Amino acid sequence: MAKKEFWRWPEYRHTVEGIDPQNGKVISGGVDIGSVSSKTVIMVDGEVFAQSVMRTGSSSPDSAERTMNWALEDTGVTLKDIHYVVGTGYGRVNIPFAQKAITEIACHGRGASFMWGPSVRTVLDMGGQDCKAIRVDERGKVQNFLMNDKCAAGTGRGMEVFADLLSVPIQEVGDRSFAVKEEPQAVSSTCVVFAKSEAVGLLRSGWSKDEVLAAYCQAMAHRVVDLLNRVGVEKEFVITGGIAKNIGIVKRVEKELGIQALKPDQWRDDPRFDPMLAGAVGAALFAKVLYERSQG
Amino acid sequence: MFDKFKEWYDNRHDYAQAWKKRTGGKVLGYFCTYVPEELLIAADILPVRILGSHEAQDVTEPHIFGMFCPFCRDCLAQGLKGRYDYLNGIMIAQSCLHIRQTYSSWVKHIPQEFSYYLYMPHGVQTPHAYPYLRGELAVFKEALEKWMGRPISNKNIDRGIEVVNKNRQLMKKVYEFRKQENPPLTGLEAMYMVVSSQMVNKEEHNRALEEVLKELPNRKLNRNTGTRLMILGSEDDDTEFVEMLESLDSTLVVDDHCTGTRYFWNEVEPQEDRLAAIAARYIDRPPCPSKDWPERKRFPHILQLVKDYNVQGALVIQQKFCDPHELDMPALRKMLEENGIPTYFLEFDVTVPIGQFKTRVEAFLETFALPDLF
Repeated sequence: MAKKEFWRWPEYRHTVEGIDPQNGKVISGGVDIGSVSSKTVIMVDGEVFAQSVMRTGSSSPDSAERTMNWALEDTGVTLKDIHYVVGTGYGRVNIPFAQKAITEIACHGRGASFMWGPSVRTVLDMGGQDCKAIRVDERGKVQNFLMNDKCAAGTGRGMEVFADLLSVPIQEVGDRSFAVKEEPQAVSSTCVVFAKSEAVGLLRSGWSKDEVLAAYCQAMAHRVVDLLNRVGVEKEFVITGGIAKNIGIVKRVEKELGIQALKPDQWRDDPRFDPMLAGAVGAALFAKVLYERSQG
Repeated sequence: MFDKFKEWYDNRHDYAQAWKKRTGGKVLGYFCTYVPEELLIAADILPVRILGSHEAQDVTEPHIFGMFCPFCRDCLAQGLKGRYDYLNGIMIAQSCLHIRQTYSSWVKHIPQEFSYYLYMPHGVQTPHAYPYLRGELAVFKEALEKWMGRPISNKNIDRGIEVVNKNRQLMKKVYEFRKQENPPLTGLEAMYMVVSSQMVNKEEHNRALEEVLKELPNRKLNRNTGTRLMILGSEDDDTEFVEMLESLDSTLVVDDHCTGTRYFWNEVEPQEDRLAAIAARYIDRPPCPSKDWPERKRFPHILQLVKDYNVQGALVIQQKFCDPHELDMPALRKMLEENGIPTYFLEFDVTVPIGQFKTRVEAFLETFALPDLF
């Protein structure tokens, strides 16, 4: 029997209704090849038109092509119709059809500002293998940033490992981490390997899965709050990246900071606000400007 | 035209061994740029600075505390692996605790015919430092004379001072070209130039510098200068990092490193008492932060470099666990930022995660280069 993959988060594509690309002046693309997920956003005149989110494979160019093709599926738009593509994320320099690469730090800043408005000043990007605390101005331009500089602790990949270890579907991790009578102590290590051994020990000593999840979510929250405090947090504050969909982390980060994140649930009703897309959205916005500049 | 320096840097051991064979002279390995090369050259010794090789290693763990800096471990690893087997002696001028541990461990585990611990004072800001170091240099000179079996005359010392001063003047002249709007040399080339000076015969190095200076006025690099950066902090000869950095639309135009300006910036001012003259040079040089207290005298010097070289941003790098620099950096970054120079901090290890560093440095550079996209 095949082992159930509890870590597996949903891949999807989406087309926004009511936008006719044929009438658009500029079709721009943002492709974000992260270490864990690949995202494409197609914009028509600076509005999100189509998007896809999928797992990154072993080859960046292949992942880029797959996520782009999927985003374009059934839209009537082809790659040739896109005026300018900006690549971002770890694989940004290996996207064959991108005209320019811009870091995910600049793109998340720009994307978050677009998605949640010009009042955004602090962006916490919790990605697959690293996290970044980014301070931006009212245009989404990066003022200052910090990136975790040692290991992948406190990131999406760590959460995937925990979901698998505890046989809890990754989308349920957040809710279940609150299904505890009392908030347990955080696991003492955020190192995925050490935290995993610690979790096994806790389960043996009688902790429930929910309690272990709570302890791990809390440790991750501590770690990113430390990063945020080093860069300084100013309102409005938003969380981007896949972990932003994990309420177990979001609520704990908010509690420790004493600041609410801006509309962390909006994505549930409107896929354009998927926090995983912020980098690709920023890239597509830069692509639009770059195209316009190239036209004089 | 800078190939020679890279060649020396890459083949430092071959060079030293060939020099030894050719001249029959002695080679002395040293730690820290507070070692007075003038006296070593006066005694016809080839001084070579011991540096790491930026490779992962597993030989130093029993000898150096895990929370000492990667540079001091990397240096010791070179000795334990036998890469400096040709050395006749080693020495250190007292500086930070970490590199002193490397020296002590080296003396203990790697047999040498000569080893010397020069009591370079930490308190360089007291006027007593001058006579103190002068006295220590006299003791050191005697030790060298005893080892070499011959006296070191004033004439010998004058020659030592002259050749090292000339090297400093020439490198400073090359640095002058980095002030240009489009510098005709990269930061990587400058790094090879300065670090190789710490490895080869100074007269030979001077000849190479004179050649470079003849050609530099007409040299044009086929690259964009991009953002003008300064790099400063702990020991840094990470050429792979600098190469990556300069591939990202930026140019290192100046530095404050002991593998750069701190090594050669000021000269020995001649005076009748040669040892006093040499002592004054090392007391007055742009200091390593291990000696830069109670007043931080290095800061106005750094600010002057920023102005002279039209620096737009600064990369502040620290060898992991390098306490002297770690202590300095919050104040240093504050000072630079108050003067309109954005800074970015990076922690270096024996090897650096080049991919992740690239993203971080690129994002820092984008804060200069992307404004017109908003």
